[in-house]
Amino acid sequence: MPDLTRRVGVPRLAGISYPLSRPLGRPHDPDGQRAVLRATLEVLEQATRPDHYVELPFVWPETAAQARNASKDEPPSPIAALLLKEPWLIPKLYSGHIPA
Amino acid sequence: MAIDSYKYVDFATRQIMKAWAARQEPGVIPFTPLAKPLRECTVALLSTAGIARNDDVPFDQEGERRDPWWGDPTFRKIPLGTTEKDIRIYHLHIDPKFGETDLDVVLPMRRLAELASQGVVGRPARMHYSTMGYILEPTELVEKTAPAIAASMRDESVDAVVLVPV
Repeated sequence: MPDLTRRVGVPRLAGISYPLSRPLGRPHDPDGQRAVLRATLEVLEQATRPDHYVELPFVWPETAAQARNASKDEPPSPIAALLLKEPWLIPKLYSGHIPA
Repeated sequence: MAIDSYKYVDFATRQIMKAWAARQEPGVIPFTPLAKPLRECTVALLSTAGIARNDDVPFDQEGERRDPWWGDPTFRKIPLGTTEKDIRIYHLHIDPKFGETDLDVVLPMRRLAELASQGVVGRPARMHYSTMGYILEPTELVEKTAPAIAASMRDESVDAVVLVPV
């Protein structure tokens, strides 16, 4: 999620359009993983100023629906389950007023 | 920005993550130029996948189940040579099966060692690191965890770090 990572303020960022849970690529695809890591390391050498942002050209080999479907059996996170049950708490998340 | 950061998440998550990103102000972004060519650098990896070795303490998932607003802000060391057989992933917001099948999809230590043998980087650090990426309230992460990781990297003469947000 380069959008979110960029807002955190990292010095250099390589964005990639890969699904959550597997940012380097598919399991047991060493060539693909190595290409992603190498392209990411090259950003380190190219950058000369903060907020340097590069979008890597790699394309995920499945549709978004297929990628999501691979994790359909994962239960919702505790916060997602809570907010589904008590949606009036959502503004706390938006506002950053996290209950202590 | 041409990449759609929210392409792979459902509609509700997309709305929440977008709102979260919008309220985050980066402030002053630090920048330290690379002090030497990449091919001479010692490189470490830091993954947010919540990886812990089986002989180490797991990330605290029960604490998060009790209080869903809380996430474990500590870190674990992952020595070079650790494989998927030696670890588990403790992260309630990602699908752990990919990294538990092949650790390099979330912490590419073998790929880094290969790039070192090809001369792209100098060498992989002896030690790599993991945090667990769901932390809404980052005070402890920023004030304790990050400085402790940085100190450990400095002790090991690490020149550059690749952060892997999962």
